[in-house]
Amino acid sequence: MSFLSDIGPFIPALWDGFLTTAAVSAASILGSFVVGTALAVVATYGGRIAAMAATIYIEAFRNISFLVLIFFFYFGLPELGIFISAFWTGVLVLSLAVGAYVADAISAGLTNVQGGVKDAATAFGLTTAQRIRLLELPLALRVSLRPLGSLFVNLILTTSILSTITLNELTNAAKIIASTTFRPFEVYFLLLILYSILTYLCSVIVHRMHVRANRFLAT
Amino acid sequence: MIKLTDVRKSYAGKVVLDGIDLAVQAGEVVSILGGSGAGKSTIVNCINGLVAPDSGSVLLDEFSVANRKGLREIRKKCATVFQNFNLYPHLTNIENITLAPVRVLGVEPKNALADAHDLLHSVGLNEHADKYPAQLSGGQKQRIGICRALAMSPDYLLLDEITSSLDPEMTAEVVDVLKLLVDKGMTMILVTHELNVARSISSRIVFLEAGRILVDVHRDVFFSDAFLDENRRIKSFIASANGL
Repeated sequence: MSFLSDIGPFIPALWDGFLTTAAVSAASILGSFVVGTALAVVATYGGRIAAMAATIYIEAFRNISFLVLIFFFYFGLPELGIFISAFWTGVLVLSLAVGAYVADAISAGLTNVQGGVKDAATAFGLTTAQRIRLLELPLALRVSLRPLGSLFVNLILTTSILSTITLNELTNAAKIIASTTFRPFEVYFLLLILYSILTYLCSVIVHRMHVRANRFLAT
Repeated sequence: MIKLTDVRKSYAGKVVLDGIDLAVQAGEVVSILGGSGAGKSTIVNCINGLVAPDSGSVLLDEFSVANRKGLREIRKKCATVFQNFNLYPHLTNIENITLAPVRVLGVEPKNALADAHDLLHSVGLNEHADKYPAQLSGGQKQRIGICRALAMSPDYLLLDEITSSLDPEMTAEVVDVLKLLVDKGMTMILVTHELNVARSISSRIVFLEAGRILVDVHRDVFFSDAFLDENRRIKSFIASANGL
């Protein structure tokens, strides 16, 4: 009872944090998917130089600390006169960084597309762009959906780092509430549940997409 | 007319086609026979542009596979049916059939759909239009493959070992469809191991050995005793193909 009366006044703040985390996650999932798909297509089908550039990007972003990237974009860029809000810094950095992993997952899917499909599409006169867009990418995504789901769950959990650049997302809101109410155990327990709800929702959505996308394999 | 002149192709130093000269006139059905590795499928793939010859020329009517524009026209006029079907697994059967006509030929989707239903009806698969390829038997998949090719309204049809992964019953289903095409005067090049299929639909037989054309004769001549007695290697090929 005491916990509820202590925490009650902070529920709206926690809810705001939850919504911010959900928003930054959704925007970053979309952003990383776009970045990753573009990189995978360039790395797989681009000319030698373009493919090499995409590969260098993927390797570079997989080997840079996410926290350092966040600090660089949020605290470093203003020195060059570039100011981005904490929310959009989070979305941008998550999109760029997770995009590198997404590119890997989609590239693996593209490599997995059967040669026969490519041969048929080519023999029937489809252009390379049509072949990629209508056949190879949709087929690759069906294979890549499960690994992408794991990446997106990780992305949601990584948003907690955005509390370090003052974004009032879930973790930041919880930190403030815990330090105000002196009930860290209960507050962070609640935080665990809220993150679990978000990641579970993400997993369920990805699972449903996977089942729907692979219905063509049903006999 | 399909015309190959002195076509040569090697893979990693291994000669696959060694100076192929072949002309197929409109309305002809030519079967290409030969052992594994003789270069049969490579001929088909040189015609549809999936394989670029090292030298020689491949012409289809006035178009050459050697230039991009020519190749684009060739692919509109000449459709291929593949040994392993090569259907698009994530598209329904009707979508498999309409994709190229809509995207390559610019046919109105409504018209392409109507044509596809007509084709499916003609091969007895109309009720499978909205199923996926994985839901069909091998023979049904190959008939979808044939419909996909015919949807391009091709002047020429390339059939690459299209019955080799089918059991006899399914082969018969596919051969029935091919016979209908023969009756309609479709020009076809059929690559096959199966003598019965070649005998039942072709007008001419080309026999390949080690990338060269050994014989190029009328079907009735090819299967005649006198010819086989003169050509022992072909006779032994036929005997092994018949399991004798």
